Amino acid sequence: MAKNSIGLILHAHMPYIRHPEYPRFLEEDWLFEAVSETYLPLLRMLKRLREDQVPFKLTLSLSPTLCTMLSDPILQGRFTDYLRLHQELGQKEVARCAFEEAECTQLAQMYLDTINANLEDYFETYQCNILSGFKDLEDSGHLELITTAATHAYLPLYSDYPSAIGAQIELAVQSHINHFKKRPRGFWLPECGYFPGLEDYLQNEEIEFFQLAAQSLALADEHVQRGSYAPVSCPNGVFGFARDFHLTNLIWSNVEGYPTDPAYREFYRDIGYDLPMDYIRPFIHEPEVRVFTGFKYYAITGKGNDKQLYRPQEAARRVEAHADNFLYTVQQKGKQLSSKLDRPPFYTLAFDAELFGHWWFEGISWLESVLRKAASTDEVVFETQLDYLDRYPESQVLQPSLSSWGAGGYSDVWTSGENVWIYRHIHKAIERMEELAIRFPDQSSLKQRFLNQAAREVLLAMSSDWPFIIHNGTSASYAERRLRNHLGNFNVVYENMCKNAVNTEWLVKAEKRNIVFCDIDYNMFNLNSKRNRYNG
Amino acid sequence: MITPNIEALSLGELRYIARKQGIEEAEVMDREDLLEALEEVYEEQETGLSGDGILYSPSTQRRFMNTLVEHAVDVKTGALPGVEPLPEFYGETSIHLLVKNPYWAHAYWSVCPQDMMKLDQASTSFDFFLRVTMHATADQRMSEESYDVAVSKLDTSWNINLPERGRTFSVSLHFTDSEGNTGLLCQSHTITTPKSFMLDHPEQVVWDDDYFSLVFSSLVSKGGVIVENPLLREVVNNMDEQVRGNHG
Repeated sequence: MAKNSIGLILHAHMPYIRHPEYPRFLEEDWLFEAVSETYLPLLRMLKRLREDQVPFKLTLSLSPTLCTMLSDPILQGRFTDYLRLHQELGQKEVARCAFEEAECTQLAQMYLDTINANLEDYFETYQCNILSGFKDLEDSGHLELITTAATHAYLPLYSDYPSAIGAQIELAVQSHINHFKKRPRGFWLPECGYFPGLEDYLQNEEIEFFQLAAQSLALADEHVQRGSYAPVSCPNGVFGFARDFHLTNLIWSNVEGYPTDPAYREFYRDIGYDLPMDYIRPFIHEPEVRVFTGFKYYAITGKGNDKQLYRPQEAARRVEAHADNFLYTVQQKGKQLSSKLDRPPFYTLAFDAELFGHWWFEGISWLESVLRKAASTDEVVFETQLDYLDRYPESQVLQPSLSSWGAGGYSDVWTSGENVWIYRHIHKAIERMEELAIRFPDQSSLKQRFLNQAAREVLLAMSSDWPFIIHNGTSASYAERRLRNHLGNFNVVYENMCKNAVNTEWLVKAEKRNIVFCDIDYNMFNLNSKRNRYNG
Repeated sequence: MITPNIEALSLGELRYIARKQGIEEAEVMDREDLLEALEEVYEEQETGLSGDGILYSPSTQRRFMNTLVEHAVDVKTGALPGVEPLPEFYGETSIHLLVKNPYWAHAYWSVCPQDMMKLDQASTSFDFFLRVTMHATADQRMSEESYDVAVSKLDTSWNINLPERGRTFSVSLHFTDSEGNTGLLCQSHTITTPKSFMLDHPEQVVWDDDYFSLVFSSLVSKGGVIVENPLLREVVNNMDEQVRGNHG
């Protein structure tokens, strides 16, 4: 039996962004960058490990909005355009570098090779739907796929609205079943946002475990027996796993994390910003909006602007050193804990998947190296939370503490001076949605579609992404527009239904715009109706 | 501070960045002046100290913390179809309370026009105040207590300090008029702030080396940085006092 178990959870999520009304839309690139820089390379790496018979098991959370977008034919077509455009840029770059910047030619070729591999995988291996790749790895026993709140709502701020929390979880499970033909057993709490009692909603949907912020067990109202090195059982029997901040910080820290190594590739130096407008114009957004292209030729080097050329071989050496250091740290930690625990420690590591590959270019290579090296020792094993629970079904019964992984550890990020105004409107929309569901139960035809669209708009407004982006000040105007858009759409339905009318023309357009959750049932906002369904 | 290669940027982009950096008269400056001014700003930021004296660099602070791509310019994406203006208020008198953290809550409220009209008609002048109530505990160890916060008629939200951990709070909105009359307008749901075993029993952690190590070894980084959390900070301060008190 390994002396140390690591339960790695990667969380893949993108907010629902889809604007077919525009020929190209800037914020849709977030999805395309994640697919080309994280999801496709991650799939290649995991399949490589499987082919080499390297034993590993990871948990992967795929958000319902991400799954919807990855399966959407319009976005699939647009991603194809994105790949082709970047392939063209790559070819142009290889030629330009050979002529102007010979030292960058190999790097340009490296990026072009990745784009070509992405094109081949996307079309030939996955027929444009990469969810099948993740499903395949789950079927072979290497991944445990779990879900998260339907639109990634930060749930502690909706604790007064059971119908909305229930809808977020019920729809998430339904969406997961639709995409993977299987009920998820785990649930990623968006932003690690937990409040006591949330587990009751999860239990209603047969969820067995969820992840927690690092401090949630240490700060509980009871004495925690095994620190964060074992899960706890909530009073209702659903298990909570707290992140290990110490090990997480080896990676996810902008001060001491591995990704800050000077030899690693610099994210912020990109030809989209560095090359003259005349050259780069066809590959950025109109009108002359510079964006990241993914072609980045410099290493982090240091804090200044004077950057050295990126050297992949040097970065690869650092990857190996950092993989060794990580496993060494885990083993040392296990030795120190051995006398303090009655069972081997289980370390929960939980990251946004996009950290690997997109932000930390070498992150996927690092993960591959760690998994290969761990497989060659009996000191460390990567296993899922469910595997651990099979081995140790008995856990301390303890109610975790209110917590999140945001700055400060609570809800401050989502209730800051910049974004707290949104809750007046979202809470009111939820109250009105509940009112509509009670006043107009079990409608059919147009009214049903109208009310279902209202439910979609409320849920989309609840996404944690909008207040986060507004708080961060990045793309804030888009986030605010989206929020106002969903709440405004909801009000259209509310006002029409109060007059017992359906605006058919508006409805058809709204359904085309926000096509998420095709089988949504607005009656879920009627708690009495829902209770009847459970009892039935 | 990691910046784009500013020499490659257009005049419009330079002016945009200059405005964001607070450079006055960016609109009338020429390209050379803008480049010079921005370089000065970046040099200052390179060696800048934040308010708490810790070295920082804004862009790397965000590095790896945001899964979304940030753009160097705040792009106007064009109108999204179907955007309806939101009402500033809803026609009801109500108050809501949200937990921000164990020390602070956020209250927002609205008073419907009919209630405002009644108050206007009933007295020559009036104002509002919030009453924050700490409810009695189930075991009767704590009795109900409350305190008032004066707010104006124009206020619609307030951040409320929560003086005790592990208590249940509610907030109500009241009026007070020129004749000295007061009255309740609306009351929020209750919220309960978290309490912590370690906060209440520091002695059970600080003198047990094995347990202390078991709990804190997962909360402290390799470089000695503890998880950012105000309650945890209070726990650590309490334990520190225990140790100093014992040595004193």
